[in-house]
Amino acid sequence: MRLHERTLERAARRVLAALDAAATRVYGSAHNPIYQTGTVAVAMLLVLIGTGLVLVFFYRVGTPSTSVARLAADPWLGAWMRSLHRYATDVFLIAGALHLLRMFAQARSWGPRAIAWVVGLMLFGAGVICAWTGFVMAWDTFGERLARDGARLLDVVPIFSEPLSRIFAGDGPVPSAFFFVNLFVHIGLPLAMGAMLWLHVSRVARPTLLPPKRVTWTIVGALTATAVLAPATLGPAADAFRLSRSTPLDLVAAWWLPLSERVTPGTAWSVALVLAIVMFLVPRFMRRPREQSWAPSVVDPRLCTGCNQCPQDCPWDAITMVKRDDDRPSLVALVDPARCVSCGICAGSCAPMGVGPPGRTGRDQLAALRDDVLPALALASPAPIVAICCAQAPSSHVAAVRARGAYVHAVTCVGNLHSSVIERLLRDGVPGVIVCGCPPRDCVSREGPKWLVERLFNDREAELKARVDRRRVRVATFAAGSFGESIAAFESFVRDVNALRPPVRQADAELDMECEPVPFGEET
Amino acid sequence: MTPGTIVRWALAVVVSAGALLGMVRASAAPVSLRRVESARLRLSWSARPERIEVCRTLSAAELAQREEHMRQRVECEGRFATYLLRVESDGRALHQSIVQGAGLRHDRPLFLIREIDMPPGAHHVRVTFARRETTDNDAAAFAGATSPDADTGLFAGRAQREVIERARRARAAIPPRLELDTTLEFLPERVVVVSLDPERRTLRVLTKTP
Repeated sequence: MRLHERTLERAARRVLAALDAAATRVYGSAHNPIYQTGTVAVAMLLVLIGTGLVLVFFYRVGTPSTSVARLAADPWLGAWMRSLHRYATDVFLIAGALHLLRMFAQARSWGPRAIAWVVGLMLFGAGVICAWTGFVMAWDTFGERLARDGARLLDVVPIFSEPLSRIFAGDGPVPSAFFFVNLFVHIGLPLAMGAMLWLHVSRVARPTLLPPKRVTWTIVGALTATAVLAPATLGPAADAFRLSRSTPLDLVAAWWLPLSERVTPGTAWSVALVLAIVMFLVPRFMRRPREQSWAPSVVDPRLCTGCNQCPQDCPWDAITMVKRDDDRPSLVALVDPARCVSCGICAGSCAPMGVGPPGRTGRDQLAALRDDVLPALALASPAPIVAICCAQAPSSHVAAVRARGAYVHAVTCVGNLHSSVIERLLRDGVPGVIVCGCPPRDCVSREGPKWLVERLFNDREAELKARVDRRRVRVATFAAGSFGESIAAFESFVRDVNALRPPVRQADAELDMECEPVPFGEET
Repeated sequence: MTPGTIVRWALAVVVSAGALLGMVRASAAPVSLRRVESARLRLSWSARPERIEVCRTLSAAELAQREEHMRQRVECEGRFATYLLRVESDGRALHQSIVQGAGLRHDRPLFLIREIDMPPGAHHVRVTFARRETTDNDAAAFAGATSPDADTGLFAGRAQREVIERARRARAAIPPRLELDTTLEFLPERVVVVSLDPERRTLRVLTKTP
């Protein structure tokens, strides 16, 4: 079972990497829309609500197909507004599906993220039902087909006193009440989706709800232009006495319809239920033991000065400051293991190195440096440039950097990196340190690259000390599909470092005392 | 702007336009439903199934033992009828099924919806919907029965009300046998609906929404 789980995850990661690489090649890593799928979906939800509020004023439950046909024929407002509404639906569903894929592939579906995964699935399901009811509202042949299949599926569930399918049989007009209820669901669900969205991001600090403005307006503008130039098709009005040989079908929103129509309602329900159960149980299947690289952060109260930085930097609101139980006058950090995803951002945020996942605190990073990295570097003469690379960085990029003479030191996330590690490397005679992180919008720890830059260059707490020569430090983005740019950034750094005077080794110099580990039993 | 930037911009525009075009196409992809130009016969109606009951008139002594508000003259026990639906076209059986009332106890109205694909053209169609139970229905026999005992006191006129109620139930129930035997013209890609006329209590043919 576990083999299958990881195999699936690997396959998903491969698919995602290919998509990311393709999109980065075209749009660049800063504007890659595939990185922004969650926020693009939210942006589309806002577009849907905005356009829907306008469209609902023109919709008549008594004459649904006529009112929508009138809208579609109005070139000034109705046609493009309706088309934008429909295209935004498609983009919402595509972005939602890609967002699910990303979360699954990057193992971001379990543990403290399980709630976000489950609610995300519910959001996606609500989006599908919203799309379903929206297409039915138009009451063209496609809407009728969706309504018939929906009724056929619901008729096997004994909740209605009369089979819904009879509504569309033709022995009487389709009652306005049906379209009213359909409209009610279509409008009511987005309200529920708002609440779900709040729950979806309730466990993250500073949730990013929208893509960068440039990406948002480009997508909205492109969709509006498409809506004007190629308005969405409206099929012939529904007629219970006419059989269509073909229907204009929205394959994005209703790709499943031709399959569902070919099987019995029982089979369709069974497949849907099994799929839903499997999807909802993904957090259960994908969870890892909370140890080693997945262990939650711990606080060493002897080192914690109560500076309140780690709660501010934690992207998951997993740290709070509480009263100490000793006689020191400050507060002490407390990690909630149920919320901690073991990203290690807190380790990078703690100047005295008192917090972090086991084995990845600042002290552990310095210890690893002393034990493994510095001895290896000492063998090389002259000392090479050190590339500190995120474990998620594309292997091709990392291999290329290594091939160009850099010593590669891997970290789980660049946000995990304590600035003292860089200082220690430079003091040990390393000519330069380049930190290779993920694109800011694709960081599995959410805010790793952001806090790294703030700490290295903008004096955010746990900052790289002023005495460190910033010309020997650089941050680069390593993203799939940006090989040329990444290597160019590295080579440019190498050129800049080579232009400087050779570094002076200060291996015996001490780092700030605040960064030194306090040996057990020696604290006062 | 460097040539590389211009190329990237152009590539982004082309790829975006292609993706949007793909989405426009996918949002209205003509997906075929059937290969041949068939027509369809749709049977659709709902009705209350007949209740098959054994009834008896309570004697004056029996009635006297009951509380005054419980003195129902005729007591019936039974179950709801089931029906055999049979559809033939040009003498060939197309469909046969048993239809009964909805609900776990089958005491709700029956709802019928069946769709049968037909080749276009004129066809002699025979639809029968017949009660399967052959036993006599006492409730119908008692529909007009009145008790010889006089209604007095607080519940005066009750025997008459019971008669009216039994008659109403008998009228509301579907007739023991419905039959449609006619030639229908099936046009390609069109639907002919056979439904129940609630006024005439007979099957009727519809080719457009009434």
